[in-house]
Formats: sequence, C-alpha cells, structure tokens
Amino acid sequence: MLIPRSDDLKLGALCSLIFIAALNPGIARAALGEPEASVQTDVARLQASIKASADRGSFRVHEIQLPSGTLLREFVSLDGNVFAVAWNGPYMPNLRQALGRYFDNYVAAAKLNHQDHKHLQINQPDLVVQARGHMRAFSGRAYLPTALPSGFNLGDLQ
Amino acid sequence: MPASMRALRAGLGLILCLSALSCGGGGANLGPPAPPSPTGNNVVSVIVDAGPLPTTNATVNTLYTSVTVCFPGNATNCQTIDHIEVDTGSYGLRILAPVMNATLNLPVQLASSGNSLVQCTQFVIGYSWGPVVAADVKIGGETASSVPIQAIGDPRFTTVPADCSGTGTAQDTVASFGANGILGVGPFALDCPTCETQVIPGTYYSCTSTTCTGTTVPAASQVANLVTKFAKDNNGTIIQLPSVANAGATTVTGTLTFGIDTQTNNASGTQTVLTVDGNAELIMMFNGATLSQSFIDSGSNGIYVNDSALVACTAMNLTEFYCPANTLTLPVTIQGQNGVMTNNLTFLVGNAQTMLSNPAAANFSAFPLLAGTNPNAQSFDFGLAFFYSRRVATAIEGAVTSAGTGPYVAF
Repeated sequence: MLIPRSDDLKLGALCSLIFIAALNPGIARAALGEPEASVQTDVARLQASIKASADRGSFRVHEIQLPSGTLLREFVSLDGNVFAVAWNGPYMPNLRQALGRYFDNYVAAAKLNHQDHKHLQINQPDLVVQARGHMRAFSGRAYLPTALPSGFNLGDLQ
Repeated sequence: MPASMRALRAGLGLILCLSALSCGGGGANLGPPAPPSPTGNNVVSVIVDAGPLPTTNATVNTLYTSVTVCFPGNATNCQTIDHIEVDTGSYGLRILAPVMNATLNLPVQLASSGNSLVQCTQFVIGYSWGPVVAADVKIGGETASSVPIQAIGDPRFTTVPADCSGTGTAQDTVASFGANGILGVGPFALDCPTCETQVIPGTYYSCTSTTCTGTTVPAASQVANLVTKFAKDNNGTIIQLPSVANAGATTVTGTLTFGIDTQTNNASGTQTVLTVDGNAELIMMFNGATLSQSFIDSGSNGIYVNDSALVACTAMNLTEFYCPANTLTLPVTIQGQNGVMTNNLTFLVGNAQTMLSNPAAANFSAFPLLAGTNPNAQSFDFGLAFFYSRRVATAIEGAVTSAGTGPYVAF
C-alpha cells in the first residue's frame, strides 16, 4: 500500500503533469495505457482530487481521492505512460474511465471467468485484472504486463 | 462454475484416482462436530448444490435457500423462489426479474423525485441493475412486510447509466449471476449508508422512462438487510453446516436460523466473538503477516489468501487456485476489533485441479479445501469453507446479545 511520506511527495511531478495537461487540452482519453496527462482527465471526469503523488524511482504514483471515499492509484512508468491502476475503498471506481481502451476487453473477459461475486481474475497477454471484496470494501488492480517497468514488484501494486 | 471449468473437468477426467483414499473420500474437516440442527419457525433449510443451472452453469461452494415473495398486502399473490444465495458479505434481498412470475408484478418504488428508484448493485465481478420494488417476504416462519427488494434485470429498465455500467460487467441473468437471487445477511443493516446523504456514482438512481440521475436514498427506501425488517428474530443470523469430506460432496444441507438469543434454538452459548470493523472486516494473522482487510464470507466460494509457499495450479482458468502436491493444514489467527483472538485455528488447502477433475466428483459442488490467491496483499477471504462443520453467528450492528454487541461474527 502506498503510504506517501512528505519527503516522498514530488510536487514537481504533479506540476509538470498539470502543465502537460494544460498544453494538451484536447486529451480526453482515460488512464491505463495512456500518457500521464490522462491522470488529470480522470481527476476531472471522476470529480476527484489528487491526494498525493510520489516518485518511486522507476515509476510514479498518483493517488486520486474519489468522492465516494475510494482511492484510485495510477502508476506511471518513466516513459510517461500509465501501466497500472489500483483501487481500494467502499465503492467500485468507474473502471471505464480508469481502464480506458482496455475496458471493453475487461468486460468481455469477465463474462468468461465468473466464479463467485467476490473475486475476479483476468489473465490476458496484454491485460491482467485482479479484484476482490464485498459490499463496503472493494479492492483490485489492473495492469499491462508488457508495460511494467523493469524489476517492478507487483506487491507495490496496491 | 463457468463452462470453461466444466470443460476442464471433462478434459482432465482421464486423470484417474489411484485409490479411494487419494480421492479424498475420508477425512475430517475443521473444528469439533457440529451440534444437532436446530428446528423451529425461525429456521430455514439451506443447501450447497450446483445452483439453478447445474448442467450449463454449475456453481461451487455456493449456499442457497428459498424465499417466498408476495405482492404487498396480498397473501394469495405469492411465489416461492429457490436457489437464492445466502451471502454474509452483502445486505438485502435481490431477485432476478426473469424468475419472477409476471402476475407477481411487484410495485416499483419511487425516489424522492417521484421517479422510479433503480439500483446499481456493485459486486466485484460486475454490477446488477434493476428497480427497487416492494414485497412481503417470507423466509421460513419469518415475515417482512412491504420491504424494498431489488428486481435485477427488469425489462422495463434497460438503459443503464454510464457510471453504473462503468463498474464492470452486467450480472443480470441467472447464468451470469449464478443464482436466482441473493439474500444479503451481513452484519450491517444498510447496503449503502453513505447514500442517505450523498449521491454515490454507481449506486442508486432516479429514473424516468428515458434517463436516470444519481440520487440519495433514505434508509427506509434502501434495499436493506431483510433480517432487520422481521417482526422478531431480527438481530442476526446463524448459519450451521455439517462437516464435508476433504474431497468434497455433491450437496451439503444445513440451516439458517434467524435471531440470536431470541429463542431457545438460537442461544449464544460459549463461542469466540469477533467484532467486525465498519467495513465488516477482521484482522487475520497468517504466515507472520497481519492482514487488516480480512473477512469471513458465506458468499465467497474459496479460501483466498496469498501464500508464496503454495504452488499455483497450471490448468487454464485455475491459475488463481492452489495445487499443492499434498493436502496442507495451515494455521491462521483471526482477531476482532474487540481484541479477541481465535485459538489453534487451522484450515486445509487441497489440490484444486485434483478436486475439480476427479471423475468421481463430477457432480460435486462442495469443496472445503478449495483455496486460491488474493489480489489484495492485506486480505484473507475466508469463504464458505469456513462455515463447514461450524455454527457461525452474524450479529447485526447494534444487536445486543448475551455474547456481545454487534456487529460481530461468532463461532
């Protein structure tokens, strides 16, 4: 779980991200697989706020506080693209927004993999989605296995 | 069970068990022998079987009961519906609209706007969309009069708002849902307490014939835990299931008793009482780690926890399950918010591939040793296997029993 310390916070990353967004007002795509500026798109569309941004060396994390109380984390590699998202909180996030162009794959795959109401595991060559939970407590993550930074520890994806 | 898993079973059916023992025919389960099944007007039978569509969509480790729903105030316009999943991980009664007779015609409830109140129920695997309707509900000898329930997949409401469909895949058919409905009997009263004062995307909507808008919903209009609406025996539930052989069983029958300490058949006795947090979660300590987002859930079909020492299955569609060479007995400690901890608690993990491909088990639906990984490193999800060979009480928030004050889980 990301617990950002104040000295981890890289406001510069956030400022540059906003700057990028300002330079690219036409960007309206969602997050996974998209440039870092799409984080701001998500923030706007989800009527959310960025709670924290942290530089972890080989990747950056933006923690988005959704109005529902759920935290959505977006992981950005050094090449500037979102390679993973993770969520944790009382309600599901809008995955159409967070998964972007991968959402349709997710929906199609989910139909094939029904086990119970509380778990989801999708393993595709270009998309992994894992989720669990129950009413009042949902968590999960989606990532692009071919886009993970070298040496990335999946345990950091919470 | 998805068709893929059935195909897997068929495909692996050639792997023969070498002996009855290796098929796991014997073997005790966890815990002491369960006491005799209770009887009474507050008791209803429950069963683990292959579900409402056993040939095409067989389920595993899913607990069902039957409910009778009637048009409010009309005791002759009723229907009894079987294969309603019993779920201690959700709140409220939800029934797939297609299984309800047209003559039932339960009245759609209204949002504060005066338009129809329609719910988007969030499950991990997707959402269930449908109107809130009123019904008189009878389960065993208990009755809840004119209570809000959800009719999932109602053909009168087919336009799903984007922020509802954005939460995942539609779970609005018996096949996709794995049940004719779901009875959420968790340790809280409301399915969306925040919705009383805040519009939460992907929850409740006020709908006209063409458009839907997110809405707040007062507690009385929410699809709440039905138990709290009973005239008596309304402070919790007790699920009691017998032990199940390690290899599994075709069916398992047990009881769902309403009320705790309200009758002689639901007295608390002495047990471990674990208070749950505001998210209905507990702390579980496993392999030296303290997992703070853990829960006991009759609606989970396996035991889901990460253990790097356990070998994952290699068969397609089983890769999230464990396939150890031998059945393992593993220790776990569960701690409540009240500081109470379990003593000497263990669980068993078997080889999922062996279990599910055992030709002698082709019709099995109960697998007490089925375990798999958990995508949340802070979570241990103790599913229906926990309930086998146990008497598990779930006290609803605020319930005062001789064993403690809810919300708690006790066993």
